[in-house]
Amino acid sequence: MSYVLRTLRKKREVDSIIRDTIDTVLVLRFGRALDPICLQLDDILSKSEREVSKFATVALVDIDSEDVQVYVKYFDITLIPSTVFFFNAHHMKMDSGSADHTKWVGTFLRKQDFIDVLEAIYRGAMKGKLIVSCPLPPQRIPKYQLLYKDV
Amino acid sequence: MKKEKKNEEYEFCAVCKLNHNQGRRHNYFPNHVKSRSAFLTRFQSKLADVRFFLKNPSLLRPEHASRNRLWCVFCGSDIDGLGSTFACGNAIAHLVSADHLKNLKDFLWKYGGGMDHVDSFRLSEVDLARWEKKCKLLKTDGASDRSRGVVIGPVNDIQLNSENIDTFIQSLNSSFSNGVVEPLQIYTNERYQVSHEIFRVQELGPLRQDADSYLHVGTQLDNNACSSNYFTGKILLWVEFLKAYTLSGYSEVPSLQVRVAASTLCSSDQPPGLWLHRLLMLSSNLVQVHRDERTANSECSSQGLQNLTQISSIVCGDAIGNVHSGAPPPWLDSSEGKQLDFKRSPFNKSRKCSKLNPKRVGAAWAERRKVELEMEKRGALAKNFDANWLPNFGRVWQSGSRKESMKEFEVETKKSSKVETQCEMPMQLQPYVSKKMVSFTFTFTALYALVVLSYALTFTALYALVIL
Repeated sequence: MSYVLRTLRKKREVDSIIRDTIDTVLVLRFGRALDPICLQLDDILSKSEREVSKFATVALVDIDSEDVQVYVKYFDITLIPSTVFFFNAHHMKMDSGSADHTKWVGTFLRKQDFIDVLEAIYRGAMKGKLIVSCPLPPQRIPKYQLLYKDV
Repeated sequence: MKKEKKNEEYEFCAVCKLNHNQGRRHNYFPNHVKSRSAFLTRFQSKLADVRFFLKNPSLLRPEHASRNRLWCVFCGSDIDGLGSTFACGNAIAHLVSADHLKNLKDFLWKYGGGMDHVDSFRLSEVDLARWEKKCKLLKTDGASDRSRGVVIGPVNDIQLNSENIDTFIQSLNSSFSNGVVEPLQIYTNERYQVSHEIFRVQELGPLRQDADSYLHVGTQLDNNACSSNYFTGKILLWVEFLKAYTLSGYSEVPSLQVRVAASTLCSSDQPPGLWLHRLLMLSSNLVQVHRDERTANSECSSQGLQNLTQISSIVCGDAIGNVHSGAPPPWLDSSEGKQLDFKRSPFNKSRKCSKLNPKRVGAAWAERRKVELEMEKRGALAKNFDANWLPNFGRVWQSGSRKESMKEFEVETKKSSKVETQCEMPMQLQPYVSKKMVSFTFTFTALYALVVLSYALTFTALYALVIL
C-alpha cells in the first residue's frame, strides 16, 4: 500500500506538501507501515485515493523518522494511525463524538466511510468552516482512550 | 420547559414505502397525504371493477380464473379466482368478511385517512345478498339464454386514455345493438397473452375509417351463431390496435399487420376462421397501399418476426466516409469554423468566471500561494520557507485561538530541557492547583478566621465585663 501512496519522511517534505496543496483537502496519515491497523487504513486510502483525487490528496508520514518528530509533538500524536486533515495549509477539525477533534484516530470500516468523511471536510472547508461534524454513525467510529499528560 | 424530542424507533410506512422515525407525526406530512390518496385511489379503481361484477354477475370460466385475482392492500393477501363460479366471487366474499373490515380499520387508523372512508372499501351484507340473488337467476337462466344485453365491460379495463377509446366503445355499442354479445369475461387489467391467438400490431395501424371498416366486416360475418370467445378475441384485437395507436402518439397513420401465431379461436366454431382469413386479406391490402408511401431506399419486411425496416446502403457511397473510417460528421463540414468558435468563447469565459468561494478556509493564503507558485515557475522568486515553519493547527488540549497553539508549542520546545515549575504555573491555563498552594491558602484563611474570631470574642467579653 505504501508503494502506491507517497510516504514522507522529512519535515521539509511535509511542509512542502502542506503548502503546495491548494484548494484540495490534504490527508496526512501518521503511522507505521507495518502496524496492522495502519495497514488496513493504508489499504482503504490507496483504494480511494484515485476516486477522491479531484478534491483530495493523500500522503503517508512515517512517524519513526526523526525529522518528523516535531510534527508528532506538535500534532499531539499519541496513538497510531492518526490522520490529520488540512485545507489550504489550515488544519481542519472534525467532531466525531470522540475526545480528540483535531485528528482521526484509527482506521475506517469501509472505503465509503472514508470518502464520506472527506466529503464532509471538503464541504465544510468550502463554506469556510474550520470544524465539521462527522457524517458517520457512532457505531462506525473507532473508539479510543485519550490520556491527558499521561494521566 | 420544552418537551424533549423523543428518539422514536424506525417504522415502515406502507403507503410511502419508506422507513421513518417520525412516529404519529408522519401521517400528517404532505408527502404522506399525497401518497395515501394515490394509494387509495388506485385500490378504489380495482374495487370499481369488483363492484361492476357485483351489479352484473357473470359466470366465470375456469380458463379465465387465473386472471381474476385481486390483491387486497389492507389484508395483504391475494384473492384468486379459484373455486368461484362467478367472476370476482372470491373477491366479493372477502370484501364482505369481518376480517377484511378489521384490517381495513387498522390500516386507516395506522396511516390516517379518516375512518369515514371505511364503507367505500368494503361491501355490505345487503350488497352480498343482492349479488347472490342475481347469481341464482343467472344460473337458472344461463342454460337457456345466453344473450344478456350489451355489456362490453368496465371502461377502465382497457387502459388507454384517449377520446378514441370512448368513441370506439360507442361504435362497438352501436354495432352490437342486436344483442348478440356476451359480456367481457376477461380481466383486461392485467397483462395477458391470449392463448388462442396472438395479434401483433406492428408499426402503425390504419386510419379510424379503416378501423371501422374492419368492424363492419366483422359484423357482416357473424350473423350466425357466435361464441363469446370469438368476440372477446375481436375485442382483444381492438385493444392491441388501439394500444399501438396511442403508443405511437397519434402522430402517424398506422398500418395494421395482423399475424395469427397460433390456431384459430375456438375449435368448434366455423365463422372465426373465415373472419380471420378476410382480416388477413384486408391487412395485406393495407400493407400494399402503405408500401407506396415508403421511400425508394427502404424495404418493408411484411412477414416473419423481423419488423425492422432495412435501409439499403448502396446509395450512400464510400467516398464520403463514415464514423468508422474517421470522417468528420456532416454538420461540421460546412460551418466548421463558425461552430467551433462559437463553442469555444463562451466556454472559456465560463471557466474563468467560476470562482471558488472567497469565504472558504484559507482563501487568502491560497491566493497568495498561487501567486508565489507562478512566480517560482517563472523563476523570479526562489524563496524558501523557514525550516521552523509550522502550519495552522488547533491543538488538542488547547483553549484559545490557533495562534496561541504555535506559541505554546514554541514555548514548550524551548523549555523542555529546563525545569521551571514555578514560573510556568501562572502561565499555564490549568485549573489544577498544587496541594501545597491549597494547603497554604487553607491554613492562611483558617488562621485569618481564627484571628478575627478571637478579636470578636475578646471584644464581647470586655463589653460584658464593662456592662456587668
